[in-house]
Amino acid sequence: MLKKTAKEKQENTIGSLKKRIKKANVCLADQEKAKELENSQLALMNMLEDVEDARKKAEEEKEKTSAVVKSLSDGLIVLNNKERISLLNPQAERMLEIPQKELVGKNIEEIGSSARLASLARALKDWSKGMFRREVLIDKDLIIEVSTVSMVIGGAELGMMLILHDITREKTVERMKTEFVSLAAHQLRTPLSAIKWTLKMLLDGDVGDINDSQKELLEKSYQSNERMIGLINDLLDVTRIEEGRYLYQPVLSDLVSIIESVVENGKDDIKRKGLSLEFKKSNSRIPRIMMDAEKIKLVIQNLLENAVRYTPSGGKIVISVSADKGKIEFQIADNGIGIAKDQQPKIFTKFFRGSNVIKVETEGSGLGLFVSKNIIEAHGGQIWFESKEGEGSVFHFTLPVKKELEEFLKEF
Amino acid sequence: MAKILLIEDEEIMIELLQKKLVQSGYEVVVTRNGLEGLDAMEKEKPDLILLDIIMPKMNGFDVLERKNEDKSLRDIPVIIISNSGQPVEIDRAREMGAKDWLIKTEFDPQEVLEKVKKQIN
Repeated sequence: MLKKTAKEKQENTIGSLKKRIKKANVCLADQEKAKELENSQLALMNMLEDVEDARKKAEEEKEKTSAVVKSLSDGLIVLNNKERISLLNPQAERMLEIPQKELVGKNIEEIGSSARLASLARALKDWSKGMFRREVLIDKDLIIEVSTVSMVIGGAELGMMLILHDITREKTVERMKTEFVSLAAHQLRTPLSAIKWTLKMLLDGDVGDINDSQKELLEKSYQSNERMIGLINDLLDVTRIEEGRYLYQPVLSDLVSIIESVVENGKDDIKRKGLSLEFKKSNSRIPRIMMDAEKIKLVIQNLLENAVRYTPSGGKIVISVSADKGKIEFQIADNGIGIAKDQQPKIFTKFFRGSNVIKVETEGSGLGLFVSKNIIEAHGGQIWFESKEGEGSVFHFTLPVKKELEEFLKEF
Repeated sequence: MAKILLIEDEEIMIELLQKKLVQSGYEVVVTRNGLEGLDAMEKEKPDLILLDIIMPKMNGFDVLERKNEDKSLRDIPVIIISNSGQPVEIDRAREMGAKDWLIKTEFDPQEVLEKVKKQIN
């Protein structure tokens, strides 16, 4: 009994000890919890601070972005993904002379009713395809270049940005330059015709007999003058191309007879230079097609002149023409000095002349191929070449055989 | 002897053309601007007119227009001799009745003479 009591006592003691420990534990846990709570509170405070910071930062960023947008020298219009205007920067407002609030929420068609915006709206009709540096005439004092940039974030289409770049000054300078060249060229033509006529009458003996050595000198002057006239004509053609005034008068013509007449005119130069020329006619019939015969003649003349000029004595020039799959292809091959590979991309650029070419022949304006390319492309054809320096060049052009060509040329 | 009226303001061109035409047996009347040209047309009743376009006082197109308004002058053939030769200009002159358009840098006096002969015969 006593034993039992002792045991009970012991158990009681253990029990109370356990309880105390438990209590102590609970106390400890409470303390930890409190601590945790405190920590959480701190973390929360920190987080709130971070959020506030982030908000401030975001606001600052937003303000920065908005300042950038506002101070951009280009006009900016933002369209949302429903093609409605959501933002206009001050430059765009100034260019279009309309405040942002009058345009926000409107779509392209709706803005077209305002006279100042009509041409922009027209240009933007197919805006979904995007455009790059497209010229739009807002009025006679403002020409802008419009580019579109689509705004996509994480695959989601957010809309489109229109960048309006004022190019009035560049266009004015360009026009003045073109007008100057055109005026200068026209002014030069008058004295050049006077020189031509005077020399021709002297040569023809209209003002008395001349001896052979006088004749020889006069012939040379006449040829120099003819070259000058040619150069002026090239310059005038370039200004006309640039002003969009290079007009085409397509008539049904025969390419083969045009080639024959160019070859006939060039045969003296070819002989003088000690070159041979072969015109390989195709076995198949070359159809007559709609073309501006005078201008196509000019292209063939340019290509033949280049071949003659840049092929050393003893060389060979081969011209061929063929008809195939709705087009006629002209080809002229020479075994002349060729075009260096690094210069090949520039060959159709205005005023460009190959560095090897300048060493051989100082004459030449660098305008022939530029003009030729414009003529061929206006006919809906293509012009290209293959060349290897020191081995020779082959120039090709195609002209489409189609009725629509007439319509095509009318648009130019 | 056929009579040709030359309406041209460039002295050297006048001198050269006149020489060439006189040598070939034509009578040449020279005027140096469009207004003088119109007066001479009425007085001289030439067989052919050689007409420049860019001239002081009255240009070649205006001369053509005034000439067309006058029944007695309308049928006198005209050859334009000009320094420029835009297709639009040439078309316009042809619509106004001009027989030919010669660009000075592309023709020489001999070729002008041939065109003249063609019109007069």
